[in-house]
Amino acid sequence: MIKFKKRYYVIFYWAVIIALLGLYFTNDFGLVDLHKTSVIVAVGIDAEDEDVIVTAQVAVPQPSQSGENIQYTQVQGRGLTVADCLNEINSKTGFYPKLLFCKLILLGEDCQKEELFRILGCFYRRNYSELTALVATCKGTAREMLSMPATISPENTTAMQRALSDELKKSANVSSVNLKDIALTNFSVSSACYMPYIEANVQGTSEGGGNGDNVGGDSAQQGQQGGQGGQGGGSQGGQGGGGEQGQSGQSGQSGQSGGGEQKMEFTARKTAAFSGGRFVGILDEQQSFALNLINNDIRLAVVPCDSDGTHYTIGLKSTKGGVKLKVNNGVPELNVSFKANAQIQGAKKVLDPDGVKNDDVVKPEILKATADEIRDRMQSLIDLCAKENCDLLGVRELLHKYNYKYYDAFKDDVLTRMKINYDIKIQSVN
Amino acid sequence: MRMRISVRQICFIMLIYTAVSKFIIYPTFLSFQSGRDLLFSAAFDFALQAVVVWAVSYLCSRTDRTFFQLVSGTLGNITARIVYALFALFFMLCTVLPLFEQNAYVHSIFYDTVPSILVFLPIFFFTVYAAGKSFRNIGRSADICMPIFIVSIIFIFAMCFSEVKWDSFLPVLRTPFKDVIGGSVASLFRFMEPCWLLMFMGHFTYKKGDAAKITLSYIGGAVIVLLVLAAFYGVYGDISTSRQFAISKISLFFPAIDVIGRIDLIALYALEVVMLFALVLNVQLAVHCINECTGYDNKAVISLAVNAVLALILILFNNQLDAIHTLWSRWMWIAFVIFATVIPLLAWALKRREKDD
Repeated sequence: MIKFKKRYYVIFYWAVIIALLGLYFTNDFGLVDLHKTSVIVAVGIDAEDEDVIVTAQVAVPQPSQSGENIQYTQVQGRGLTVADCLNEINSKTGFYPKLLFCKLILLGEDCQKEELFRILGCFYRRNYSELTALVATCKGTAREMLSMPATISPENTTAMQRALSDELKKSANVSSVNLKDIALTNFSVSSACYMPYIEANVQGTSEGGGNGDNVGGDSAQQGQQGGQGGQGGGSQGGQGGGGEQGQSGQSGQSGQSGGGEQKMEFTARKTAAFSGGRFVGILDEQQSFALNLINNDIRLAVVPCDSDGTHYTIGLKSTKGGVKLKVNNGVPELNVSFKANAQIQGAKKVLDPDGVKNDDVVKPEILKATADEIRDRMQSLIDLCAKENCDLLGVRELLHKYNYKYYDAFKDDVLTRMKINYDIKIQSVN
Repeated sequence: MRMRISVRQICFIMLIYTAVSKFIIYPTFLSFQSGRDLLFSAAFDFALQAVVVWAVSYLCSRTDRTFFQLVSGTLGNITARIVYALFALFFMLCTVLPLFEQNAYVHSIFYDTVPSILVFLPIFFFTVYAAGKSFRNIGRSADICMPIFIVSIIFIFAMCFSEVKWDSFLPVLRTPFKDVIGGSVASLFRFMEPCWLLMFMGHFTYKKGDAAKITLSYIGGAVIVLLVLAAFYGVYGDISTSRQFAISKISLFFPAIDVIGRIDLIALYALEVVMLFALVLNVQLAVHCINECTGYDNKAVISLAVNAVLALILILFNNQLDAIHTLWSRWMWIAFVIFATVIPLLAWALKRREKDD
């Protein structure tokens, strides 16, 4: 009997193993066949009346022996929520859009009129996306922006992602944030968040009168000169070509050829500020720079300054910035600290080869001018925060976390009431 | 009696199975209940259970009888059978929610689309097989799982700690006290470890100091869970309540993932193996209890029956994870207090034959 049982067990488990192997080799277990799928790599969101319009940039893998094996196309959906739009996009692409590969969410200018998290709320629903996607807003509509051919990459979302890259963030040139970051700050007691403001500029142009902060050049509208479909929702090189703005329920599906069109460069040195989910304004390059020095981990920042009538470009290394809040004698005091090692990277004067060796030994007056420049930028940022009651620096958060007993007393007017102390130390690299 | 499990293996079980059984929904639930003070809720539960674990393991030093023998020696054979029948039900109860969690977790993490439940059902081939095995196999499984667990959890921690904002927990203890305690009580249904030890009683050779080793192993598991909770809340802060499947979310912001892809999935796959063994432990103990209770020796048949019931529950209530979780957190904690806290402590009142006797 025991022998029979043992034999029976062996047969049973072999049958199970064969069945599992059968399942394994005959069923894809829900896995996706790469050649039959399309993956959303970026979405642009525009608001129009009550509707939102989502333009998804979709990567379609192509069978290829070598070379380029991914095609990018744009698909649009329209609805009352982003999920409505994605559902429409789903029906067009034949793929369940979980947005796991979506790396960029671009909000059009019209979205600034809406509550931010009415637009973005969908992405925070349980496990809909992983919150790692970068978020940015842009000049004009997102669908136009996504349809512009880029200079440095065949698909412009990659070019935009480069403008929001971690390297740029570490040089204080962009305030890159992802979905998690903006939710964390928006739903904190500070109730404020920010995101980069992307602008497109015609390739090969640059803004004049530069002091090192001016970037870009001719805007997209200037540069296109009617050469590109303005409201066409990605209509150039169209395969479907149906999606025109204003036609509810319609959408466009187009390829991104960019042939013969003016290529664009993307920059994101300005920052859009939101308070309580509402758009407050755009921080200029200097204010954005100050924000980045305080909030981000900076490796090398470049700041211009004037000293003794000469313009210098100073590189700042080993930086450490931050804010702390203390309440002294009933007065909230914001201590803004910034430390860095400075090095001359450029000067508006004739180069003296023998003097280059002294670039690492920066004169005290230049150091002072640099510190003053940084202080002015920080002051400008703090003034804007106080004026707009937009707590981008997380002052209320600091009050709540580290000075809780004063929180109720100061939470409403701490931004206007606080005293600012600066501790900015710039020293030579050598 | 032939000793079928070693103290080392019990220590591994208390360390790793305690930890992995609380990695999926527990952090999300606790951050919803207790907010930034979730660590206090968890620490309270673990402290309570550590005392019970110590009490049961110390009881093992006083007797070489199994729990069944202790009960039957004091209250009679019929009572012992009834108690074991109840424990069998209890262990099945312990399996239901983790089974649903695993179903949702596997579907969500390892598949891009929404697969049918059929994809998950083959797990029962494994549980039917494993649950029919003896304590010796439970111990061996723990031996296998230990290195897998250690390597993968270090991997996960290494990827997440740079993203943790440690001031997320400030201000400390400002969450209403009733919410902190409420979080503790509502998650008590995840703490059944003293019952494992109760079942192992008499099946291992106790040596001096083993109670401390077992309790410290349990505390080690608790520390790992607290670290996962801290990492989860430290990464997601106030939005952690919207993030399910915590263990798979905490390492997502590791910079290299953006470049080389989801390498954290390697560790998650490895942890999944350990989670399956932790899941099946309760089924194994349910089968053991029915075996003792009925005296029916064919464990394979018992295992088949137990797993059939669990599979039926899974199929009937598929996609009802939230409802089951609510039911468990509101009412089932009472059963867990009785079986995992009160009964293990009452075991001290049973007649023990001293080891010297």
